[in-house]
Amino acid sequence: MGLLSGAARIVVRGADRMSRWTSKRGPRTFYKGRGAKGTGVHGRDGKFVQIREMVPELVVPELAGFRLKPYVNYRAQAGADAPLTAEQLFREAVAPAVEKDFRDGTLDPERLGKYGFEPTQEGKLFQLYPKNFPR
Amino acid sequence: MRLSALLALASKVTLPRDYRYGMSRPGSLADRRKNPPGTRRRRVAVEPISDEEWHLFCGDTVEILEGKDAGKQGKVVQVIRQRNWVVLEGLNTHYRSVGRTGEDRGTMIPSEAPLLHNQVKLVDPVDRKPTEVEWRFTEAGERVRVSSRSGRIIPKPDFPRADGIVPETWTDGPKDTSVEDALERTYVPRLKTLEEEVMEAMGIQETRRHKKVYWY
Repeated sequence: MGLLSGAARIVVRGADRMSRWTSKRGPRTFYKGRGAKGTGVHGRDGKFVQIREMVPELVVPELAGFRLKPYVNYRAQAGADAPLTAEQLFREAVAPAVEKDFRDGTLDPERLGKYGFEPTQEGKLFQLYPKNFPR
Repeated sequence: MRLSALLALASKVTLPRDYRYGMSRPGSLADRRKNPPGTRRRRVAVEPISDEEWHLFCGDTVEILEGKDAGKQGKVVQVIRQRNWVVLEGLNTHYRSVGRTGEDRGTMIPSEAPLLHNQVKLVDPVDRKPTEVEWRFTEAGERVRVSSRSGRIIPKPDFPRADGIVPETWTDGPKDTSVEDALERTYVPRLKTLEEEVMEAMGIQETRRHKKVYWY
């Protein structure tokens, strides 16, 4: 960066310290990516082995007859629903079955698994804690 | 929405921390000319008024209490919350020339100067006199402005949108969701994560499990 003031002109020597160090600079042996996720590993013979699980796959359902479009009519008011809480989810998904069994007298405190209770996250594909999916 | 975004050329404008809001829209040519990057002006004192307390909206009829046009009533066309300003249509004006090029002195037009919120008062629709206003709740639970003197509710006025769209007369285009489709409730709460529901819906079977990993 050369600063020019009046008639005095000085030349600042040396490399460019201020710009970002990207993959476009440096010698030709310098390798640096730009943040793309990898999709495989390099094998011993120098070949690249692509791993199917590392390649992202978009799961898209059939959209024939889907009525929602990108934009919404101006007349539609903002929704009045509150964000879903854990208690509300429990009340709507689990509580009716538990209450029905309690009234019939068949509620078994040892067997809560049939209402959705999971004592451990082992053996599940999508574990809630520690969360093993990115969303 | 799409056309208005095009017309407004909406772009994210980052303003300095002590930016002084003026009559020009931040990010416009006039504002960028007046406040180039690196401008630091003396800070002006602005009384902090919460969004719940603020009672002046575009389209209200208000009366001016002090200044050149004291005693006159006018319609609010612009509200600048950062300075507690209201701009009335055609009132409190000074004159400036527009279109000056070279020797041509352009045309003189009246341009409105802003007024502070305590220099104007809302007008009671009953007797058309200025009145103090409070926020109160109706029987239905709606929050409305009520005149202190007569107890009359002052409704929030309708002000046309800047992009000229009237929601009542909007016809759906090919990319618009209709009102019924947008407000339809299709969610059934279940104890499954989104990923599990999608797998179930698409019929994807996955019997492999992750290897157990330990970290400290």
